Amino acid sequence: MERENISAARPVVSKTAERKYPYYIENPVIENRVDRFLEAFSAILQFTDYRALLDSYCTSNAKCNRCAVACPIYLVTGDPRDIPCYRTNLLLDIYRRYFTIGGWFKSRFSDSFELTEDIIDDMLDVFYRCTACRRCTRECPMGVDHGLITRLGRYILSLINIVPKALQVSVREQLEGETHNTSKVPKEALLNTLEFLTEELEDMLGIKMAFPVDCERRDFVFFCAVSDYLMEPETLMGNAAVLYAAGDWDRWTIGTCNYDGINYGLFYSDWHLERIIQQLVNEVDRLKGKSILIGECGHASRSAHDFVPIFGGRNPHPVMNFMEYTLDCIRRNRITLNGEVITERVTYHDPCNIARSGWIVDQPREILRSFVRDYVDMTPMGENNYCCGGGGGLVSIDEIHEFRMSVAGRLKADQLLQTGADICIAPCANCKKQLKELVEYYHIPCKIMGLHDLILQAIEIPGAKTARERKEEAALLEM
Amino acid sequence: MEQWIDIAKGPLFALTFLIMVLGLLRLVIIQVYSLLGRKGRLLRNAPWRKIFADALTWVVPVRHLIPGTKLFSVISFLFHIGILVVPLFLADHIVLWERFVGVSLPAIGYTLADTLTLFTLAALAVLFGYRVLLPRLRAMSQPADYYLLMVIFMPFATGYAASHPSVNPISWEAMMLMHLLSAELLFILIPFTKLAHIVLFFFDRVSAVHWQLRPGAGDRVAEALYGREAKV
Repeated sequence: MERENISAARPVVSKTAERKYPYYIENPVIENRVDRFLEAFSAILQFTDYRALLDSYCTSNAKCNRCAVACPIYLVTGDPRDIPCYRTNLLLDIYRRYFTIGGWFKSRFSDSFELTEDIIDDMLDVFYRCTACRRCTRECPMGVDHGLITRLGRYILSLINIVPKALQVSVREQLEGETHNTSKVPKEALLNTLEFLTEELEDMLGIKMAFPVDCERRDFVFFCAVSDYLMEPETLMGNAAVLYAAGDWDRWTIGTCNYDGINYGLFYSDWHLERIIQQLVNEVDRLKGKSILIGECGHASRSAHDFVPIFGGRNPHPVMNFMEYTLDCIRRNRITLNGEVITERVTYHDPCNIARSGWIVDQPREILRSFVRDYVDMTPMGENNYCCGGGGGLVSIDEIHEFRMSVAGRLKADQLLQTGADICIAPCANCKKQLKELVEYYHIPCKIMGLHDLILQAIEIPGAKTARERKEEAALLEM
Repeated sequence: MEQWIDIAKGPLFALTFLIMVLGLLRLVIIQVYSLLGRKGRLLRNAPWRKIFADALTWVVPVRHLIPGTKLFSVISFLFHIGILVVPLFLADHIVLWERFVGVSLPAIGYTLADTLTLFTLAALAVLFGYRVLLPRLRAMSQPADYYLLMVIFMPFATGYAASHPSVNPISWEAMMLMHLLSAELLFILIPFTKLAHIVLFFFDRVSAVHWQLRPGAGDRVAEALYGREAKV
């Protein structure tokens, strides 16, 4: 791709009074953003614990440029504004000038740095050019967490009402709307979908499994990204098949008051993060459930796994990702996967939130190797994996589609192409959406699937049609 | 000149060294206080094993040689060996540590010290060159990033010149005075500049602790700005 194309993809930030934002914003603030930004920043410093971190970072960040070569966005654009350390220093400069003694002292005696409207424009652009993949953090010799600082910057901006409309509208529906989920899926639609999934499974396997809804005192309360109910039925069917085959059908349930694992608060707001977690925990408490089982979703898993112990009260519910559950079933021989049916070459995409920022790297690989004959890894992989380009909530912002394709996802597309894989497993709702768009954009002959979509093809359930029969049936249908 | 050197070696050394120690101590106390005092029980949730394992990978950072900064990283790593070993273990410095700090360190040979010093000087020049010539590095550099390299350069250059009369254009006394004063300037700057990473490097690494957000803080921020009825 040529340079011009890339720069054409840059969102325009005009400096005129009529400010143009790179993404849609509800009721954009025009007046007095500087004062309001500082007011919000100081409220955050007063009530939260970020001060120590900012003190430490703004004294010691080395500006060594190692983060630049780790950043999949900078590697594509070559624009200094995309260097993680540059972005972090935008916020650190403000902190240093307005909230430290040294900065105050310096401002008395010299024309030091001042926060201007232009800097706010710069921030609202670059903070949302980052996918919060935290690859730079691993390569920072000081350990500066650019992801956390970018998130803090977004948090402050969100408090002065500068936040992509797509994220804000979803969170509002989740917290204040009637459906309590980001995609506005009403309870009736959920029940219809579950009925549809039951029928599909019956067609496919020859077994009727009615989904357990609102059952109390179950071991697992299941949450997935609510969009999966609309867009990824096969993943959910795979999840159901594993639970059924393992004999755990009466140990799990889906709640109808809250069935959305998505938590955009993880990307931009402490306030929303906590309230969404509480909502999730309330639902588990209502159903008197024991633990939280999160479907194939990266950031939902991370936010529940990391924040339920903090915001979830005195005896927080344990949190498990579905892949951990499946691996456990495989290890204990509770389910059987047919090693003959998957003949395509398969690769695995590590979602940043559960690999680099989480705890899931080897588990899905162990599952895949147990039944896939031709499995290849991407390079780099695991904790060093490149982001799909849609992380940090970016995938939900439709108006930056071109940026996500031509810039943020470009290295991922290259990586995918190099594996020569026919199927790429991406166990994350965000990654799946972004990667599906990427393979279309770059014409890559690769199918993007969830891990349980593939398991659904290979699982052997006693009394059901065998995996081989199902494969033949599917082939007939395609003809 | 002699009495100037005596002052620089005596009270001035003690004073600047004390400033450095107290300044660094202040930074450590602030960090420990805010971690223990404000994070409290959240500290137990933090993935300490992961934090320490990650910190250890940076002791000999071979795993962090990534394409694009390999030479830069190797040089800055070796540079750190030079700036730690020579000031601490050179025979002439050990005397000072014994007198002011009360610890006796083993001495390294003069050949090794000379080699390390020359290497450190060369490394500083290369790091400086990188900062000037590499566009992405220049774009993010601020004045302090340049002048600190020069401040570190001075004590090494003057120390080498003072101990090698053949490369010393001025008198030994003048060079030694410059050596002492530049080192003392460095002492003063350490706690107030990015050189403070000699103690802060660990506190920078605990970002996983800072991800343990304080329950209720988000609500209080929203309430302070928009009142109790704050909406998304």
